[in-house]
Amino acid sequence: MSDEATLPPAPDVAGVSLDGTKVFTITAEENARLCASTGTTPATDGTAHPIYYYIATQVAMGKTVAGVCEACEFDVEDGPMMGSSGVRFAHPLMIGESYRVTGEILSLVRKRSRKLGVMDVLTYRLRLLTLDGTQVLETDNVWVLPRKELA
Amino acid sequence: MSYAVGDALPSFAIPSVSPEAMKDWAVFLADPNPIHLDVEVVKAKGLGDKVINQGPINVAYMMNMLMAAFPGATIEAMDSRFLDNVYAGDKVIASGSIVAIDGARIDCEFSLDAEGRGTVNSGTATIRLAY
Repeated sequence: MSDEATLPPAPDVAGVSLDGTKVFTITAEENARLCASTGTTPATDGTAHPIYYYIATQVAMGKTVAGVCEACEFDVEDGPMMGSSGVRFAHPLMIGESYRVTGEILSLVRKRSRKLGVMDVLTYRLRLLTLDGTQVLETDNVWVLPRKELA
Repeated sequence: MSYAVGDALPSFAIPSVSPEAMKDWAVFLADPNPIHLDVEVVKAKGLGDKVINQGPINVAYMMNMLMAAFPGATIEAMDSRFLDNVYAGDKVIASGSIVAIDGARIDCEFSLDAEGRGTVNSGTATIRLAY
């Protein structure tokens, strides 16, 4: 029996929907502020900073960050940590365009960690769509949820 | 402009990570996590003595490096790993290199280093050149 098999199972959250109902629109003003905050200037071709892949999907997904943690039976106050983030763009993000989000939790895997003791590794996928249904991008994010109570 | 496998990409530096920018990003991300806003919370959690940059800002620095290295190009795909925190006041430098070229697509490796602490983010990206 592996050491991890002795741990209580992680909550079964694979498949939990993260479909959103909000519409996210990138404004020229906010894009300019965002670019300035990262040491660059806005593009002149109408495209938004590509980091909006993360912002738009997080803001318009169907749960808040705290809500995603709650679904995993994890208190957001215990400090979720970003593990990795990947994105595949089909189209650039555009100023003035409105987007919506679909997505789901892919997995929650409990592991032992030398650094954190016990942790749950959460992977979820979000898709950003224009309002006519065209997919603009897909992103997979991985968060680490330290389970201090199990360490 | 011509590119070759092994080429180093021009680096992109942030001389001092701004706590004011973190306040803006709390709004952008609709996420008021106090570890990005209140140093007393950071201390109480034992995470250091400076506020912690939101992870996506670090990704944005690396995107800025890629976009400056390939003017007019688009990022088709990007994967970033978060290895350590970036703190207010850190000097961070994004750098990278070309690892493969396939027509108009260029694959790169990149990292973000915090001065004095080493690599805090790393990853790979595929860039599509504008022809």
